[in-house]
Amino acid sequence: MKILIAVKQVAALDEDFEIREDGRDVEAEFLIRDLNEWDDYSLEEAVKIKEASSGPVEVVVVSVAPEEADEALRKCLAKGADRALRIWDDAMEGSDPIAIARVLAAAAKAEAPDMLFAGVQSSDQTFASTGIATAAFLGWPHAAVVSSLDYAPGAKSAVFRRELEGGLLQEVEIQCPAVLTIQLGINTPRYASLRSIKQAAAKPVEVKTLADLKLSAGEVGESGSHSRIRRMYIPDKGQAQLIEGDAAAKARRLAEIIREFKGDAA
Amino acid sequence: MSRTDAVTRILFEAFPTAEVRLFYALGYTAIGIFCWGVYVQIRKYRRGTALALEGSLWSRAGGMVAQVFSHRTVNRRDHAAGGAHRLIFYGFVLLFLGTATITLQYDILEPLFGIRFWQGEFYLIFSLVLDIAGIALLVGLVYMMYRRGWLKLPKLDYARTDRALGDPDFLRPEYRREDWAFLWTLVIIGCTGFLLEAARLVWLHARPDVWDTRWWSPVGAAVAQALEAVGLTAHGGAVLRLSLWWFHGLLALTFIALIPFTKVKHIFTSAASLMVRDPKAAQRLTRIPATQETPGVAKITDFTWKQLLNLDACTKCGRCHEACPARAVGAPLSPRDVILSLREFANAALESGSLPPAAELGVHGKSPGQVSMETLWSCRTCMACVEICPVAVEHVPIIVQMRRKLVEDGDMDPLLTKTLQTIHKTGNSFGESKRKRGSWTKSLPFKVKDARKEPVDLLWFVGDYASFDPRNQKVTQIFATLLHEAGVDFGILYDGESNAGNDVRRVGEEGLYEVLAESNIASLAAATFKSIVTTDPHSYNTILNEYPDFGGKYPIQHYTSLLKQLFMDGNLKVTRPLALKTTFHDPCHLGRFNKGYEAPREVLRLLGCQLIDMKRCRDNSFCCGAGGGRIWIPDPVGSEKPAQNRMREAAAIPGLEVYVVSCPKDLTMFEDALKTTGNEGKFVVKELIELVREAVSAPEIPAVPA
Repeated sequence: MKILIAVKQVAALDEDFEIREDGRDVEAEFLIRDLNEWDDYSLEEAVKIKEASSGPVEVVVVSVAPEEADEALRKCLAKGADRALRIWDDAMEGSDPIAIARVLAAAAKAEAPDMLFAGVQSSDQTFASTGIATAAFLGWPHAAVVSSLDYAPGAKSAVFRRELEGGLLQEVEIQCPAVLTIQLGINTPRYASLRSIKQAAAKPVEVKTLADLKLSAGEVGESGSHSRIRRMYIPDKGQAQLIEGDAAAKARRLAEIIREFKGDAA
Repeated sequence: MSRTDAVTRILFEAFPTAEVRLFYALGYTAIGIFCWGVYVQIRKYRRGTALALEGSLWSRAGGMVAQVFSHRTVNRRDHAAGGAHRLIFYGFVLLFLGTATITLQYDILEPLFGIRFWQGEFYLIFSLVLDIAGIALLVGLVYMMYRRGWLKLPKLDYARTDRALGDPDFLRPEYRREDWAFLWTLVIIGCTGFLLEAARLVWLHARPDVWDTRWWSPVGAAVAQALEAVGLTAHGGAVLRLSLWWFHGLLALTFIALIPFTKVKHIFTSAASLMVRDPKAAQRLTRIPATQETPGVAKITDFTWKQLLNLDACTKCGRCHEACPARAVGAPLSPRDVILSLREFANAALESGSLPPAAELGVHGKSPGQVSMETLWSCRTCMACVEICPVAVEHVPIIVQMRRKLVEDGDMDPLLTKTLQTIHKTGNSFGESKRKRGSWTKSLPFKVKDARKEPVDLLWFVGDYASFDPRNQKVTQIFATLLHEAGVDFGILYDGESNAGNDVRRVGEEGLYEVLAESNIASLAAATFKSIVTTDPHSYNTILNEYPDFGGKYPIQHYTSLLKQLFMDGNLKVTRPLALKTTFHDPCHLGRFNKGYEAPREVLRLLGCQLIDMKRCRDNSFCCGAGGGRIWIPDPVGSEKPAQNRMREAAAIPGLEVYVVSCPKDLTMFEDALKTTGNEGKFVVKELIELVREAVSAPEIPAVPA
């Protein structure tokens, strides 16, 4: 039995960051990288299923990313994943979530898992579409924002719950294999001690290329994408000020501000 | 030959040969049982892991003998018990030497070489000394009975803080029974000894060499006269003597045979424990050997033989129980019970001929003999227990070893998990960007050197709290200003510095500690400096005591001794003496860990402050509750926090104005506790650095000529 988990190494902003020269992303040196928080939960869910299972279960993590993501993959290995798979080709640069999903789907076909988990979203891009798009490419049933799960590896179906607005819970039965995107809080992710992370550093990360997955360069990267990021910027900040004084003074100041906005002050 | 030269005691006088033989047979049996017991105990310790001791065995033995004979450690913080134990100890030693002397003459020197010395004046002095020893023993024992029976000291209550009523090992009445059996056995042996002596005198009243010298055994003589006064005849004395002889002898032999199986074994285990003491046990934790597959202690056999010996050395004296800040605020931890629990486990699992299967050796949990994670996480690693233990039990390393296993399994508070992940990611516990580590320097009117870029005399290792905590940043800025004004050439590592790792290591996250220590040592290696200073006692401890194991050896001092030096050398001058009524809180890692008791007090005196020490000060200082990673773990709601307990102690000082601290974490903990205990407005919590600032004016800046 096998559970495949799509993971991503996300970037968080450091202090005083700068935007890249092309204006489409933050300068890499100002980014602190870590495993996407949602993926921590989907991995934990898979490891828990594995630990509760009487039969053998293989937990495989997969990421579409350049080499720097190995750190996040090793963290997954430290937390209990059996194998880590990284797929990359320079042609994949600029891929949107749909293109990434196409690659993940190809990897899933090769791995043939019984279940595929992804996080609801990534904390840096928050498109929340990679997991579901992967299901579309695979033609598998799918569900988003799963907050609790009953699944025995090898079972024909799984039962899960989703939280709806207004405090409602929805219980759903789904045919397997399926793609589920996992919500935060579904479990308590375990701590990967530095010792286990160091030990995982010795474990291999399998690297696959486009050719391995029988994909063409045109299916990935900007050419395989349906969207592209035009620019990334910090919006102008609005401002607020507290007007002090008696009613007359406040009114006077307010009138001044209105005139300034209308451009009358000059 | 003068008359007294012939005086002696004839052993087995008037004994049928069969009875003498019987006695020897019983004696050898007792010794045999004793030896078997010793073997079983040693086999138990050998089931622990290997450990090589540092230093020569001779100097260790010398140190142990000095400790045992001076009774220094037994006497600390409980002079009455210390004094009573002294009487028992010296009495027992003399009585043992007395018996050994008789054996030497009767069984060795006389039969082999015909040498006799146990007679005449020597015999008389021998009699006197042993009578005095017997009295000393009895007085000590009676005091111990008084202490247990009437004083009912809380530290001698064996009810456990980490178990509830109804748990099988909550009250442990068997310990109480054993204590009393031990005391009564010795009292009866002592009393029957004197009675026996008296009965012999009555029996041999007619022999002048016996009767005329009777006052050389004054207790026996007095009892003999009393016995005669109530009508005991010489014949009655003979009968009494023979029956008492057997009773006394059999009881003594039974006692000897049982030594290895009862608390009496502490005479050996405590001495051995003192001999293998590690004076840096809590200050310098040990690395995980490369050969060890899983970190920390999961099974009883994962402890070292020395730790298993430590378990047996404990005499349940309760000093650690009394000193523990976690216990004082009702947390489910008593260092004594951790030790006793593990001892019960070791005795049940490791004394039998064959080792039980590994599955039955797990020490984590809530069954009898096991230690729960709630207990382990209650520890502040403040070292109060290790420091006061009279027999060198090293609780803190045992607790941290067990925590290493909990960390590996992720059995810890979610907030602690988060903090460890944060420290791994950012190098500090605040989750701030590395780049912001030196931000506090930005608002200073002078530039703080980057020690990685230019050489400095003094490298200041700032630490997390002093770097990032807004309240502590103010103190940090003042200290930088003082150094600047004193003309000290100093610099910091800026973003090259990470959390020093002291508390991470005490949490039990050894892997992360290694990363932090190695990263800081690499940064330090890239800087040029003569020595290190830090305002953080936690960083001070780990850099001083633990970095050397990772190849980083540096001269380092805590800021209190640097300030003292700057005053002594005249680089800082008190211009506005502070006539404040203060008390000083010894930080665990400065005081107890590294004996830095004097420098802060001297600085306070130099500032003109009046210092009134709290009852719990210096080596008995009461932890603020932040140590051992507890600053990252929330305290249970509704229970008293150690810092609050401490604030109440300080508040009892009449007219106290300033509660002086010298540790960033103390400032945070106590300012909070000052408010939550309702003492705000009564006195204030201040860093010593802040007081120095108040007392030392900034040097006059010469006016720019017009």
